[in-house]
Amino acid sequence: MSKISGPINLTVAGLTFRQLFTRNRFVATALFAIVPMIIALIFRATPHAFDPTGDHFLPKMFADIVAFVLLPLSAVVFGTAAFGGEIDDGTIVYLLVKTLPRWQVVLSKFAVAVLSTALMMTVAVLLPWIALGAHAEQFAIVSAYATAIALGAALYCAIFVTLGLVSKRALVLGLLYIVVLEITVSPNVAGLKSLSVREYVMTVVGKLAEGKPEIHAGAVSMNTVWTMSGIILFASLALGIRWLSNYEMAERV
Amino acid sequence: MTDIPPMAHVELRDASRWYGNVVAVNAITCTLAPGITGLLGPNGAGKSTVLHMVAGLLAPSAGEVLIDGESTAGNPGIYRKLGLVPEREAVQPFLTGFEFVRMNAKLQNLPNPDDAARRAIALVDLESAMNRKVGGYSKGMRQRVKIAGALVHDPSILLLDEPFNGMDPRQRLHMMEMLHAMASRGCTVLISSHILEELNDLAASVLVMVAGRLAASGHFREIRKLMTNRPHTFTLKSTDDRKLAAELISEPSVQSVDLEKGGLAIRTSDRGVFTRALPRRARGAGISIHELLPTDESLESVFNYLVKK
Repeated sequence: MSKISGPINLTVAGLTFRQLFTRNRFVATALFAIVPMIIALIFRATPHAFDPTGDHFLPKMFADIVAFVLLPLSAVVFGTAAFGGEIDDGTIVYLLVKTLPRWQVVLSKFAVAVLSTALMMTVAVLLPWIALGAHAEQFAIVSAYATAIALGAALYCAIFVTLGLVSKRALVLGLLYIVVLEITVSPNVAGLKSLSVREYVMTVVGKLAEGKPEIHAGAVSMNTVWTMSGIILFASLALGIRWLSNYEMAERV
Repeated sequence: MTDIPPMAHVELRDASRWYGNVVAVNAITCTLAPGITGLLGPNGAGKSTVLHMVAGLLAPSAGEVLIDGESTAGNPGIYRKLGLVPEREAVQPFLTGFEFVRMNAKLQNLPNPDDAARRAIALVDLESAMNRKVGGYSKGMRQRVKIAGALVHDPSILLLDEPFNGMDPRQRLHMMEMLHAMASRGCTVLISSHILEELNDLAASVLVMVAGRLAASGHFREIRKLMTNRPHTFTLKSTDDRKLAAELISEPSVQSVDLEKGGLAIRTSDRGVFTRALPRRARGAGISIHELLPTDESLESVFNYLVKK
């Protein structure tokens, strides 16, 4: 029997996992995961009298490198590839000519993209912490980032999985979205911070690691985080499901 | 693969499909009964569009496409009894042949996907390569693994889009035997091709499509006769074109002879009679023939003739 656990079809999930972790994509995302550790090792090799255990360095690197750059990049790589390849080469037909509901195909692929992104980014926050001595008092910050990044992975992947369905240039459009909205506009325009997934991640980190002076929480409230997260998840996935449900295998004429 | 699938009927009622201003399929009406039906036509005739409409992957812009009275568009229930072998070669290259067929079995909710996959792979004679990655398969092996994936759930309707591409003669023969066996068990098989001879000894009934329209339908032999008995045109060069033209104009199989700059343009109503009569007439008149070329042997011209007829 096709294993079905709730909305996720494990056959589709397994297939997607193998699609996402092709050798080239694995090497690219593994690089994303180890970049923070390399930076941490360089930090460790350099004497820092004011911050010997990296108490200030680690949260700043997590915020500026992992949450700001690597998380959206990993999500765009995994998210846009969840469907993109299959639509380009036509292998999507093997999923479509089945009794399997199409919403289940979208949710299964979304779940695998989120898991893959969250897994890589969890490694990206764990490795530098270990490289700097795995101090127990820093674990609260590490776990706060790992949790908040999982939320960020879900939001980014919802956007990018749907983008991979609706556009043949999803990777380029996804990178544009990251560079324009997340990196350039929202940090500098106060009114647009409530549209930035990065701000939601930082707000959740601030909430989970409350009382830690080295944490700089996001500029939006938790209410905004939950409301906007719900809207992004629902709108993106609903659009993706609708798109795949109406998807037609057109012949070029 | 041992159970006899329940018979299924496919019906197209004035089914049309257009993309913007381009009409891909124009008001096709036909019924497919159990057995093998060939869908013949040149590239771009709309064969794949018809197959995709039957497979529920394209909704008709007008008219209806029905399987056992149910509309195929947006009806995933039809996939319990339908298998599709798409024309595009692509199969997930990182899967082994067995994994690909088993994936299809799992997605069809079969109770024992491993056994079903092994049976389907045996049917297409691919056991020796089933544990190799599909990315390393030849074109013919990919076609066979696609067919195994399409029939793993014992469909009562099998749609094959140009399935013989890349297959060697032995594989074709094996595939024909398999399709005949399925048809004899009551399966409705629709197989598209742009080569008439591919359907020889396979499809009893043939639908001919040209430019989105159903140009002819009937028994394979009738269609073949229509195609070979059509008027043919030739260009000819000889030692004395003018004299040969005068000689040929009285030949009953010749409809017209035009004297042109580079030789003669001859239109004949019966290719066989003409090609037998020509050397006799030329020899009788003491003329040597330097060149004889058919000018309208392209598949498109053959199909266009059927449309005009």
